[in-house]
Amino acid sequence: MNLLESTLALIVIPLIAGVGALFISNRWQRAQSALALMATLVSFFITIILFKHNFIYSIPWAGLGINFSIRLDHLSAFILLSTGFFALSLAIYCSVFLKDKNYARQFYSYLLLSLAMVNGAILANNLVLLLFFWEGLLLTLFGLISIGNPDAFKTATKAFIIIGISDLCLMIGIGLTGFIAGTLTMSAINLALDVPAGLAFILLVIGAIAKSGCMPFHSWIPDAALDAPLPFMAFFPAAVEKLLGIYFLTRICLQLFQMQAAGWAGITLMTVGAITIVLAVLMALIQKDYKKLLSYHAISQVGYMILGIGTGVPAGIVGGLFHMVNNALYKSCLFFTGGAVEKQAGSTNLEKLGGLGKAMPITFACFIVAAVSISGVPPFNGFFSKELIYDAALERGTIFYLAAILGSFFTAASFLKLGHAAFLGKNQTAAANGGNAVSEAPWPMLLPMLVIALLCIIFGIFNYLPIKHLIEPALGEKLLEGHSFAGFHANVLLVSMTVVVLLGALLNHWLGVRASGSGLKAVDHIHYAPGLKQIYAGAEKKYFDPYDIGLKLAHWVATAAFWADRAVDWFYDKFSVGAAVAFGQGIRRAHNGSYVTYLAWILVGALLMVTYLCW
Amino acid sequence: MKSNWLVWLIIFTPIVGAFLLPILGNFSKILRNWFALVLALVSFILSLILLPSALSGQFATIQRLLPLGFNFTFCADGLAVFMALVSSFISAIIIFYSFDYIDHYENQNEYYCMVLLFMGSMMGLVYSGNLIFLYVFWEITALTSWRLIGFFRDKEYVIKADKAFLVTVFGALLMLVGFMLLAQQCGSFDLSTIKEALKTQPLSGLAVLLILAGIFSKSATLPFQTWLPDAGVAPSPVTALLHAAVLVKIGVYVFARLFIVVMPLSQFWHVVVPAIAGLSALIAAGAALIDTNLKRIIAFSTISQIGFIFLGLACGNVIGVTGALLYILMHGLAKGGLFLCAGIVEQNTHSKDITKMGGLIKTMPWTAMAFLFCAFSIMGIPPLGGFFAKFMVMTGSVYSQPLYITLLFLCSAFFTILYLFRVFNLVFLGNNLIGPVKEGSKLMVACVVLLAVLSFSGGLLIKYPADVARTVAQQMLGTVK
Repeated sequence: MNLLESTLALIVIPLIAGVGALFISNRWQRAQSALALMATLVSFFITIILFKHNFIYSIPWAGLGINFSIRLDHLSAFILLSTGFFALSLAIYCSVFLKDKNYARQFYSYLLLSLAMVNGAILANNLVLLLFFWEGLLLTLFGLISIGNPDAFKTATKAFIIIGISDLCLMIGIGLTGFIAGTLTMSAINLALDVPAGLAFILLVIGAIAKSGCMPFHSWIPDAALDAPLPFMAFFPAAVEKLLGIYFLTRICLQLFQMQAAGWAGITLMTVGAITIVLAVLMALIQKDYKKLLSYHAISQVGYMILGIGTGVPAGIVGGLFHMVNNALYKSCLFFTGGAVEKQAGSTNLEKLGGLGKAMPITFACFIVAAVSISGVPPFNGFFSKELIYDAALERGTIFYLAAILGSFFTAASFLKLGHAAFLGKNQTAAANGGNAVSEAPWPMLLPMLVIALLCIIFGIFNYLPIKHLIEPALGEKLLEGHSFAGFHANVLLVSMTVVVLLGALLNHWLGVRASGSGLKAVDHIHYAPGLKQIYAGAEKKYFDPYDIGLKLAHWVATAAFWADRAVDWFYDKFSVGAAVAFGQGIRRAHNGSYVTYLAWILVGALLMVTYLCW
Repeated sequence: MKSNWLVWLIIFTPIVGAFLLPILGNFSKILRNWFALVLALVSFILSLILLPSALSGQFATIQRLLPLGFNFTFCADGLAVFMALVSSFISAIIIFYSFDYIDHYENQNEYYCMVLLFMGSMMGLVYSGNLIFLYVFWEITALTSWRLIGFFRDKEYVIKADKAFLVTVFGALLMLVGFMLLAQQCGSFDLSTIKEALKTQPLSGLAVLLILAGIFSKSATLPFQTWLPDAGVAPSPVTALLHAAVLVKIGVYVFARLFIVVMPLSQFWHVVVPAIAGLSALIAAGAALIDTNLKRIIAFSTISQIGFIFLGLACGNVIGVTGALLYILMHGLAKGGLFLCAGIVEQNTHSKDITKMGGLIKTMPWTAMAFLFCAFSIMGIPPLGGFFAKFMVMTGSVYSQPLYITLLFLCSAFFTILYLFRVFNLVFLGNNLIGPVKEGSKLMVACVVLLAVLSFSGGLLIKYPADVARTVAQQMLGTVK
């Protein structure tokens, strides 16, 4: 195969496999998973071959500048490689997890179709082609969520509406960008951020960060955590949507537009990132469900990436991309452990779990590695990417640094709580599992977890591997200004701050457990702190859900529009009919048969004529 | 030229055939049904034959000079052929669907006669190159739609039909006055003569206003929109015909014909028309979110989507006009699908109230999936065809309109997602509130699935419709290379 064929195969193979999977009955589950494994394995293999290749290919498509144009460069090859890896891990994991699930057929099919579209979106070199694949993901997203619980279609609709609306903004942004730049080819666009281009920038960024699950486009993710099949969570919100969203954000900030480090665009992105970090992690802190807690972290972590890229300084951008990879690793690993717990213990409700560490030692070990990585404990991978982001954030403003470090504190605190509540403490899971003892998950589920946990360690200790080979080539020499960001971070102050904060989280947990007597309630002193308590109560009732607020607003507008329409209708149905009737009756009254009246009419008419003639 | 005969055949096969149908119906229902389908297909296939020459710029024309400027002129240019293809194709599918749908009701002979007459006059309208003949066919469609909307003879239904007739005819009379003003200024009702004359003289604003009133009343745009939701009392294939294939597309077509091809509008109207269309789109979209009658909601959706087509046409640039033409095609396919699905739901549940349905996907999965995919196309979700249409229209608007117009339409696009999902969730998902409901007949389901598949493949194979639409748009704007 030549380069072009193998690149197109990345779209075509999952596409064909996805359509094919729709036709394999659930009785042939082995065939289903074999097909998914084959397709993801081949795609992963191709992404490895394609790595470090560069080329652009274009054929006419819908005309008017809309070409089927694809580009392979370091950045897209790097994201493709990551996506391919996660798809393969998920396929291995699903081969056991989806056993006896009646939605297996649809899940595999939608998963593979999604993979095709994700690959397409990453390869696209034409903004409309990108939008085509990007927005096409809505269909599989809707399908993947709605096959979960009986009521999951409500969450699916919510996700569809939130992302659909942001995608429409992206659509306008792409139109505007194409208009200003005079071309839709991404590799040919490089705009300064002046007034119209600034609007295009904002619209494109809305599309990118909404896909990655940033606030205020996040609120479907916690709902989906409960309703959607778990592997969906491990693949989409945890890994692929981050990869896709941050990939496009990087393209926007570094290539499509000339974002300056000191401009308004960077400040806006950093603010959005910082707010997302803090608010989402505060919500994660109080969750009492394994999956839902993780889902809020999936939102919170994207804040770090946006903050990092928003700084506009090389350390921040490298840190943001590195954090993107790291987050995809440990977050999918965490969701995999959540799936193992769900399958083996029968519940993810933390109130029913506890003491699983003995029964599921390997899962627990993987959980520990992923949890310390996400908390940023040295020398795991999350530590290094966070340090880079801290460094860049501090350069751009202390407030951003404080938000980031505060986020780390709560992240650590909530994972201490989660680990303690699920894996340590009193063993009460047999009750949740219908009286059966809990055993370790089967090996096809453990294998992806173990591999990913291992990668978390490798990407930490040998962080020059990903930074030197994956990220820095993707950004290019020019941007990096000759620096390299591999190795152990030299800023002693920042490192010591991190250590202090982590120790603080540990102390906080210890105090919380001592005060409340249980791991689950370790953060109750924060949850029920005066002031916070009321806010939390409101948030639990979804008073602050931007989706619900938006729907209410839409409903008001719609009601006004409805009555405007009724008013117009009244004009036709009542007013014009009434006017015609009234006119007719008035005229009829004039025709009363009286000779005198008619004479009077004639006189008036004659007078009018004379007046007109003499005028 | 031989192909001139084709134009004759395209127009008069369905019109003459329409009057044969009732006679045929007295002998055999099956024969009548298939003959009706064949008549529609004749128009479609012959238009397809005309397409290559129309795209290459060699138009088949018929011209018989008559006194007083009432020239008998027909011209098959790109725009006419494109519209004829879309209309006749969707009409053919709707007629096929009617085989089963209308089978339960009385007055079938009248139904088929009116539908074919309706479609035939649409053919006459799109091909005519003279304002008077355009007006004549325009009024024939008003008459037939009046009869079809009042197909069920209940009194309240007939009142709604009267309303549709009165509003559209009122608009048409205003338009006729506008035509007269034009003829007075240019000395002829012939479009080519008017086009030449207006190159040197300014266009009268009053004439534009009057003609716009006619167009907006036919295309159910603010402030003439309310007859269209009321027309939902008609049988579902008829509403599909009104919304997707024939009636509301007439106004859009005449706008494209007169105000792009013959007499380009001044800058003032390029802002006013999108503003009215945008307001109309938003109000209708809002109303669709509140109403609870299935067919009224889809009708409001049509009003809203027609606004997008006007926007694309009023942009006056190639991408906007191409988008508008694609929109006519894609919206026709998808909206036809939605109405035909609604027909299946309505016929099998005997209800139109979406708050009293639910869970129908379990028993009618095919209809539900067809509905969902048609809805996706109207929302503009790739890879369905509606995506490209919406993208091009919106891009055209970004190019040429003030930003607030684009944002106004963006709001309507948001609402489109909201109300279509509301309908889908209430009708097909959730708890069943209506009891056991069976799937529609095979033939009807086949029709809706066909429309959904066409919406889908229209997006995947966008190159072909887009190439045709772009060539037509360039022809219309006079920018053919």
